[in-house]
Amino acid sequence: MAVRQIDVRERVMARNDELAHEVRARLTAAGVRAFNVMSSPGSGKTLLLERTLAALDEEFGIAVITGDIQTQNDADRLARHTDRLVHAVVTGGACHLDAMQITRSLDAIDLEHIRLLFIENVGNLVCPASWDLGEAEKIVVFSVTEGEDKPLKYPKMFQMARHAILNKIDLLPHLDFDVDQAIANARRINPDLQFFLTSARTGEGLPEWYQFLREQAAGTPVS
Amino acid sequence: MHELSLALEVCRMAEAGIARSGGGRLVAVGVEVGRDAGIELENFRFCLAALLDEPPFAGVRPELIEQPGDDLRLAWLEVDDGR
Repeated sequence: MAVRQIDVRERVMARNDELAHEVRARLTAAGVRAFNVMSSPGSGKTLLLERTLAALDEEFGIAVITGDIQTQNDADRLARHTDRLVHAVVTGGACHLDAMQITRSLDAIDLEHIRLLFIENVGNLVCPASWDLGEAEKIVVFSVTEGEDKPLKYPKMFQMARHAILNKIDLLPHLDFDVDQAIANARRINPDLQFFLTSARTGEGLPEWYQFLREQAAGTPVS
Repeated sequence: MHELSLALEVCRMAEAGIARSGGGRLVAVGVEVGRDAGIELENFRFCLAALLDEPPFAGVRPELIEQPGDDLRLAWLEVDDGR
């Protein structure tokens, strides 16, 4: 028996990262800015996106790719607010979206008529952070019904994001949640993290979020 | 939570690696796991061992090497040429 060792030294994520690179190039060429929206389950990101579509879709065109382990409930909810495509990816058990799923989804989206693309990732603060989807940036959503220590418990997610949305602030009077402490915890992990404080239910804080998206849409050069 | 899909990708890469290097029976795989890679080591070991026990493999030994950083790499393959 002759056993030999073959050196490989290949990154396991290399295939995903290649596809993500292609997605990024395709979106950049089309002048579309994509956000990978990641959160814990129940943080309110679908309602936040429903509100966002209702407010801004007519202004500059937004498409959404939703990822869910089962059901396409989120895609159905979002599709009520736009004529543009809301593409559901049912992961069938997988805890995150990957770049292959985004590649396939993009084929169904009319990129020429949108400026923003939201990728609503599977509700999970762990795994989605590890998978590059070809987005322009990652946004993390959490809510005041969770602990202030969420950023410390799930540091990778907060490290990878450029913006964080702290949602459900309308509930603050009923809770002991300390907003300053939550922001301080997040900035211990990522000092440059920018926050939006929102209530998707009452609309509080949403004008600042919309303004940010307007700037993002306007700043996207169309090739 | 995504340890199984990563383990599946390691198996796919191992098959491709053996095919590239002229075939043979896979005996062991060495995988470098970054401590910040977001991977639960024992869960990953369990998934990989389970997959490497099934066809087209049989009783392949997974060897996990913990490292600093956030990379996950297929480091090496041990192949029996049968010669």
